Amino acid sequence: MDGRPLGSSFRDPGGFVYTRDGVLYRQVNRVFQDRFEAFLGSGLYDELARQRLLVSHRPVSLELAASPEAVAVLEPERVPFVSYPYEWSVGQLRDAALLTLELQERALVRGFTLRDASAYNVQFLGGRPVLIDSLSFEPREEGAPWAAYGQFCQHFLVPLALMCHVDIRLGTLQRTYLDGVPLELGSRLLGAAGWLRPGLLFHVRAQAKLQRRYADRDIGRAARARSVGAPALLQLVRGLRGAVEGLAWNPVGTEWADYAHETNYTPSAAGAKRNLVIEMLQGLGARTVWDLGANTGDYSRAARTLVPGVVAFDLDPAAVERNYRRVRAEGETGILPLLMDLTNPSPAQGWAHRERLSLEERGPADVVLALALIHHLAIGHNLPLNRIADFLARLGRRLVIEFVAKSDSQVGRLLRNRPDIFPDYTVDGFESAFRRRFAIDRREPIPGSERTLYLMTALPGGAGR
Amino acid sequence: MYIDPAAGSLVLQAIAAGVLSALAMFSRVREGVKSFFRSLVPRRGRWTDGR
Repeated sequence: MDGRPLGSSFRDPGGFVYTRDGVLYRQVNRVFQDRFEAFLGSGLYDELARQRLLVSHRPVSLELAASPEAVAVLEPERVPFVSYPYEWSVGQLRDAALLTLELQERALVRGFTLRDASAYNVQFLGGRPVLIDSLSFEPREEGAPWAAYGQFCQHFLVPLALMCHVDIRLGTLQRTYLDGVPLELGSRLLGAAGWLRPGLLFHVRAQAKLQRRYADRDIGRAARARSVGAPALLQLVRGLRGAVEGLAWNPVGTEWADYAHETNYTPSAAGAKRNLVIEMLQGLGARTVWDLGANTGDYSRAARTLVPGVVAFDLDPAAVERNYRRVRAEGETGILPLLMDLTNPSPAQGWAHRERLSLEERGPADVVLALALIHHLAIGHNLPLNRIADFLARLGRRLVIEFVAKSDSQVGRLLRNRPDIFPDYTVDGFESAFRRRFAIDRREPIPGSERTLYLMTALPGGAGR
Repeated sequence: MYIDPAAGSLVLQAIAAGVLSALAMFSRVREGVKSFFRSLVPRRGRWTDGR
């Protein structure tokens, strides 16, 4: 993909993002030149980039442009792992929402406005959300309402309200509705909460009703007659901030939230496992680790002592939320907790299957960690061992994987109320399934447990195919 | 503007702006009325400051 826009970068006529020789660039088109220069000249870019609210960029030669409409080419700071709102915990989405409102407030104060309020314009960098689209700002026309107000509510407020007031699992609606959860759907699903909370009553219910009423009407004259001043817009943004800040969810009571406390590891066995994981990672020179089934990230942090970037995936919203809160509380960098159901990982989707990348397309990682995971996939989800090996070989170049024998009490729990239809789920069956895709470099029993830790290398034709 | 702002969302902002400016106007009028009446009633300090 040399000089061609990324699959997600095509809606804004003002510019687009592309790669050339593996380097990411953003082109600014002539049609947006005045507004972009005004943005740079206002000091707003410097302020936001300095405070790490907006990704920084450096201007590069126009010769690197991807098309003749270019008036400037920027090389933005690269985000190590691109994630999507449907992979974020509720706290991550909330922080991304508050960042967007903070940016809009600062823009308004300087006579600018955000042209869009897409959650996909936010990424996590150094443990914190940051806006990645330098072309999102433009000078505000006096009296103009905020064009991205509805988009903000669909991308942030509605999914957050549904997760906090109805069911945390409704965050998955974002995967279906890539341009945000429709206000009318959110309003209906919110039920009583949409009436009782003034913020939701105004920004969701009332807005949904007006959107329906004016869907087919030309409001040109009416809108011109009634202008919206900057103080009123600031009040609107502060009202939205209050509504977002009023949304909270307590990460308890899900299946996995207390899993770490329920494993059969004694503290010394857990310590031995941690040391073994670190030992196996040593000397690999890995830059990226994907910790699959990371729970609240204990082993992700062990890996982080050696590796600059760890993505900690888990399917449980409470575990991911707790992990993210740890990241924020400790100011940790290099650990990105994300929601991911490995039995149904994020697909390639959006326009032409190109807008949002699948998990696999964002790899391969240097190392995949799969600790205390295999039994959940093989026995909990009836996934044949060779298919698990196939998929893991596509996700990473190296694999650190823990085999949990049937004699382990955690596997016993999975088999407690069902027939054992897994005759191949043995050490031999596991090794022969994985040898089809990996070379087994090391095999170490974990002292004080029924488990074995393996270090493997994907065979050619595996990772990165 | 390159995204569809949704007409209803614009109308809601216009209504909110109208309500806010009406509130601001009301509070300005109220302050004006209050200060008018305050000016009619002599302040207590004038009688007790010894002048």
